[in-house]
Amino acid sequence: MAIATKKGLALAKEVYEDRGRRVRELRKAGKKIVGYICLYPPVEIITALGMVPFRVFGDMSEPITAADQVSTTVVCPFLRSIIDLGLKGKFNFLDGIVGAHTCDIGMTLIISWRDYVKDAPFTHLIDVPHTDRAPAVDYFQGQINSFKRHLEEFAEEKLTDDKLQKACEIHNKQRKLVRELYDLRKPDPPLLTSMENLEVLVSLFSLPAEEGNQLLEDVIKEVKERSNKIGKKKARLLVWGPVFDNTSLYDLIESADANVVVDDTCVGTRAFWADVKPPFDLHALAQRYLVDIKCPRTYRETEHHETTRDYDKDLDSRFNYIKKAITDWHVNGAILQSVKYCDTHGYEVPNLRHYLDTLGIPSIYIEHDYSERSLAPIKTRVEAFVETLG
Amino acid sequence: MLNEASKLYFAGIDIGSTMSKAVIVDAAGVMKAYVVGPTGAEHRRRANKVMEDVMQKACITLDEVAYIISTGYGRVNVPFADKQVTELTCHAKGVSALFPDVRTAIDIGGQDAKVLKIKNGRLTDFLTNDKCAAGTGRFLEVAAETLGLELNEMGRISLQTDTPVKINSLCTIFAQQEIIARLSEGQALPDILAGVYIAVTTRVVKLARQLKVEPPVVFTGGVAKNVGMVKAMQTVLAIPILVPEEPLITGALGAAILARDRAFQLVQDGTLQLKKKELSEAYIDFVEKNR
Repeated sequence: MAIATKKGLALAKEVYEDRGRRVRELRKAGKKIVGYICLYPPVEIITALGMVPFRVFGDMSEPITAADQVSTTVVCPFLRSIIDLGLKGKFNFLDGIVGAHTCDIGMTLIISWRDYVKDAPFTHLIDVPHTDRAPAVDYFQGQINSFKRHLEEFAEEKLTDDKLQKACEIHNKQRKLVRELYDLRKPDPPLLTSMENLEVLVSLFSLPAEEGNQLLEDVIKEVKERSNKIGKKKARLLVWGPVFDNTSLYDLIESADANVVVDDTCVGTRAFWADVKPPFDLHALAQRYLVDIKCPRTYRETEHHETTRDYDKDLDSRFNYIKKAITDWHVNGAILQSVKYCDTHGYEVPNLRHYLDTLGIPSIYIEHDYSERSLAPIKTRVEAFVETLG
Repeated sequence: MLNEASKLYFAGIDIGSTMSKAVIVDAAGVMKAYVVGPTGAEHRRRANKVMEDVMQKACITLDEVAYIISTGYGRVNVPFADKQVTELTCHAKGVSALFPDVRTAIDIGGQDAKVLKIKNGRLTDFLTNDKCAAGTGRFLEVAAETLGLELNEMGRISLQTDTPVKINSLCTIFAQQEIIARLSEGQALPDILAGVYIAVTTRVVKLARQLKVEPPVVFTGGVAKNVGMVKAMQTVLAIPILVPEEPLITGALGAAILARDRAFQLVQDGTLQLKKKELSEAYIDFVEKNR
């Protein structure tokens, strides 16, 4: 049980470097491991049924060689990396895989997984409507219910109110602890680097929720007690965009005269900012996942069916959570990053940059193809951006 | 190391993907000398060489150089530089020194293209081409090789026409095939060449339009030395384009001026001492301006 020998940041680093290690141990001990893609499958249901949710990520250091058999090359390289790893047997410790129709490629990934990877006996796709309107929330609740029934069957166990309540509490506790972790980057200089922060978050997606909570408590204590070696830098940046599960980009940014102090990415705040609100039932889950998670995959508007629109008001209602982060974390610049071919995020960029302009926050948009080697040319642009600040 | 009183000059070294440039300025920020040479495979040796050459040209020795900033693709390979600054910031500074009112600068080098938005001499926004060499000097080199022409010759010949052919492909390799196809169709050489320049320009202007092109527009980089490119740029943008006398050295010039500013900043902070009279006048001026 090597996992128990380390704790805090050292443990986070270890889990980050070999994400499958702990779940492989747990699987040997009889636990079922359920992989999921993107933020939308409700992990509370997996935890409540005694299984371990495991967020599936790609690997930026692994060249994509097998995925061409099942996908075209002009789609999201992050999702291509996932299916590539699946085809290479790197996720053979999963008993199940759950996807959600967050974007079209995310949905087709589940089809490919079901038909070509085949390792996991359980596959399920949750349909996710693309607006946050009331009928959409009801429909999404039905989708969660059908996922629940399918997983109950697989678990050979019923999901009681009591179990769901407990799972919601555990995951809400995790979200609260993550917000405390982010508070450690409010001072200048921050008490934690963005690389360390990401190692902890990636670990949370690789461990049972209660072990993750223990890790968070240990890390927060450790960081508060250690002497801070992080230097004050010219820029305090916010990083925005889709999944970023690798420390290399943060490393690249922080090697310029900048500290990344907060983010709006789906491995960061987006995954942890919203709680499930009591009473803990399927409606509360539908509300949390469809309405409260702020991802550009969902269409939002200030006033439903309004014919005369107020552009600025609309922008503010879509992005004011970013304004809050900018104020609370004393941000003076934003790096918007995305993987190539991510339509969902690409179309959001002009609006968001305009909004940031109105706040007086300089921003830069960079695209990469989800491989470590593609980051090198970005270095000069990030450095130049930091040079333009202040 | 930096605390010697006799130092009077400041240097900027720009190690680009294809060409290396060095500039020396005096305390007033006025250029004393510059050199340009091919980069080649050994960046470090090249950096030493351009530095030696430029000092020789300016008739100064290394201990008269108070501060050195390196820039460009190979900026990490200048072991004697005091500081590294990206080519984007340096170009903005250099272009503004030559054209104080500049709002848009378009720089096309051997393997990259960049568009800078500048306001009051400061870089405010920028875009660079990603990865692909289409719309850079490399594209023109490939065209020249295909046609068996010198780059300068190619520019001059292209001026003979006002009816460029359309080169549709923006990919360097496909465009090469297209040039061959146009030749075999019997199209006139000047028309084809003018078409090549329009194709490169279109690619870069696409980038520039994302940032909104505001005049005055300054065109720099090795590619700006080509008369065919300058004409194509004027045609596509439909506004007058300013080109510095030596368009290759704006990055190095900016680096040298930034070296001077940085040194003065250090003097102000008390970490560097410089005593000569002419220097102190320029320094007082600098402090005044920064107030």
